[in-house]
Amino acid sequence: MKIAVCIKRVPDTETRIKIAADGKSIDESGVKFVLNPFDEYAVEEALKLKEQSNGEVVAICLGPEAAQETLRTALAMGVDRGILLKAERLPRDPLVVARALAAELEQGGYDLALFGKLAVDDYDQAVGTIVAELLALPSVSAVTRLEITDGHATAQREVEGAVELVEFSLPAVVTAEKGLNEPRYPALRGIMLAKKKPLDIKEVELDEGGIEVLELTLPPDRKSGRIVGEGAAAVPELVEALRNEAKVF
Amino acid sequence: MSQSSLVPADYQARLPQNQLILGEPLEEERIDVDVLFVGAGPAGLAGAIQLAKLVKEDNESGNGVGEISIGVLEKAGALGEHSLSGAVLNPRPFRELFPDVSDTDLPFRTRVEKEAIYLLSPTRYRRIPTPPTMRNHGNYVASICEVVRWLGERAEEVGVDIFAGFPAGALRVEGDRVVGIRTVASGLERDGSPGSSYMPATDIAAKVTALAEGSRGLLAQSYMEWQGVASENPQIYALGVKELWETKHPLDRVIHTMGWPLPRTAFGGSFMYPLEPNLVALGLVVGLDYRDANLEVHELTQRMKLHPLFKPYLEGGELVEWGAKTIPEGGYHSIPQRRHGDGVVILGDSAGLVDVPSLKGIHYAMQSGMYAARAIFAALKNDDVTAKQLSAYDELLNDSYTVHDLYRTRNMRPAFKSGFYTGAAKAGLMTLTGGRFPGRRIDMEEDARAPRATTECEELTYDGELTFSKVDAVFKSGNVTRDTIPSHLIPGEKVGAELASFYSHMCPAAVYEEVDGQLRVNAPNCVDCKATDVLGPRWTPREGGSGPVYKRM
Repeated sequence: MKIAVCIKRVPDTETRIKIAADGKSIDESGVKFVLNPFDEYAVEEALKLKEQSNGEVVAICLGPEAAQETLRTALAMGVDRGILLKAERLPRDPLVVARALAAELEQGGYDLALFGKLAVDDYDQAVGTIVAELLALPSVSAVTRLEITDGHATAQREVEGAVELVEFSLPAVVTAEKGLNEPRYPALRGIMLAKKKPLDIKEVELDEGGIEVLELTLPPDRKSGRIVGEGAAAVPELVEALRNEAKVF
Repeated sequence: MSQSSLVPADYQARLPQNQLILGEPLEEERIDVDVLFVGAGPAGLAGAIQLAKLVKEDNESGNGVGEISIGVLEKAGALGEHSLSGAVLNPRPFRELFPDVSDTDLPFRTRVEKEAIYLLSPTRYRRIPTPPTMRNHGNYVASICEVVRWLGERAEEVGVDIFAGFPAGALRVEGDRVVGIRTVASGLERDGSPGSSYMPATDIAAKVTALAEGSRGLLAQSYMEWQGVASENPQIYALGVKELWETKHPLDRVIHTMGWPLPRTAFGGSFMYPLEPNLVALGLVVGLDYRDANLEVHELTQRMKLHPLFKPYLEGGELVEWGAKTIPEGGYHSIPQRRHGDGVVILGDSAGLVDVPSLKGIHYAMQSGMYAARAIFAALKNDDVTAKQLSAYDELLNDSYTVHDLYRTRNMRPAFKSGFYTGAAKAGLMTLTGGRFPGRRIDMEEDARAPRATTECEELTYDGELTFSKVDAVFKSGNVTRDTIPSHLIPGEKVGAELASFYSHMCPAAVYEEVDGQLRVNAPNCVDCKATDVLGPRWTPREGGSGPVYKRM
């Protein structure tokens, strides 16, 4: 089985975000970038499927030169080779991103394309699904369990108040939800090997797409918590605070 | 109000040498490199870069040494995340290692143009003349995190393999020879059993292992104890607590202070440096031979910010990072008598290469790495990595400005053992005589041997604006170590209430608490400053990526 995992380089979730001078983007100086956590689930699932049935796992990343590091992380986890679709800036429009990835996937002859459900920087939850549409493939999003036998797959999805079980045939596009698996850490040996694995770099031209960011602002500061007291004696004050300060009653 | 007096050394556990020096054969599943630098700080990275450059030049000249694999192991999750320093930095080794890079392209913030030293009283400050050893003309204010990240990029450019997130937990040895290290397992549960993300330790075999672990390096200590490598005086340490502030009021000079808030029985001082006019590093450094069992470096640092010298700069500003680290302060007489052995060299802070009177160590650390690289290169060329070959490192270091500088100021820090004013007077005489006064070595004892007495003191209430509790401070260190990690600290056998209380004051990161007369250990809080290893429970490395996540310290 030949599996593609589409991954993204995103700011570390522990990073303190600062808005850049243009007011429309984040200031990237001093920001640590990591492999998008949801894409880690996708990589792990691809590696598990490979361990069951052999084949090849290819990681594809659309991003700047520095995204090679993100690909190396995936290679260190066990992915066989990487493809960097190099673009200095990613447009805000997920359709443009999806088109570039679909074009690459189309020529690869993959049985399965795995994505993270969302990227933690834009929260679009769109790219994987759009890619499926562009390639006219079954789209199964936010899966928490995936089983594949002989080109036939079943997946479990968590929907509001229920679990949905779906069946589909390959090739297909699947996006990974948290809980699908526990991503492995790259082992020392894996990191050593990753340095020698093939990593192709292909320049891509992207148009701006149909979405423009007008303004980016930080959420308002949260008020710090307050301990009103201890034990039963504190209850009246707590009720008072919930009613008049927090206004939850 | 002295009650009883406590000698911390009496209660300290010994290094667990049977876990640190492993003589059984290396695992088959090991990784092989030619040279391994343990620790991606200025020493390890400068050494790796220098070695890679020497190998490259040699191979280009024809008849070269061939391909040499160079690895650098780092316990932090990413480069720089465990590095903390003031820092005012002497650019000399950068110019030597990167002759084609101009000063303006080096990873520094601002050139020191103005500096001032103040003597503080509780409510006032008085400017005093800058001692010659502390003049910083030509030096730069820098963030060691940024310096380390930059050095890491340069190292990768010349083909060095950097492995971040992998602490070295033991030396692999054959007879007296060091043949590599073993990393630390990760994914252990609190009881030490393997969890779902368990990854076993890995052996790394190396022809030469360079120990560049920083202050109070575990494997360096373990090696020296195992091989009986002594120094004339024991190493002594200071603990520095540092904060990074975004301020509303610009700072235009490098500031150092002496006096308050330290008692006269403690050695140390504070600093405040501008990285940018409105981005300010400040901190307080205190010798760990302080005598008051209730002294808290963290608390004194908080108190200091309320002083009229500091407060006007900080008011309305924001604390962005907090951290702590020890500094080896013993100087010349505390340098180990040899810093090499069969298959091993010891670099930088792990070898005590810090000059206290000028408050500097980064350039000496880098320089030591570069000298070691030359000796290692020659050893590889001769296909002989024995102590005899690697002793070239010690010779290069002994003949260099690094050891010469430390020799000149050899007795200054020891002089302050007799109190602040006597020490200052003696230090002045030493400067005048080029280090010859008092004509002999001043003896020192280990910090943990200094007796502690309890005095009454007024507690500071933290306001959350200028002053912060230890728990809030640990949050600002970026420490997100998982709560279920097994404890990496080894207390002694009998820890009573008084000792537990001493530990709780000593640790800047609220790792220790005294609860109902017992010691409670909050191991995940630890920021790897190593003060605990100097005075309290012994420190060992945790799984990779644990501890602080410093960004611009």
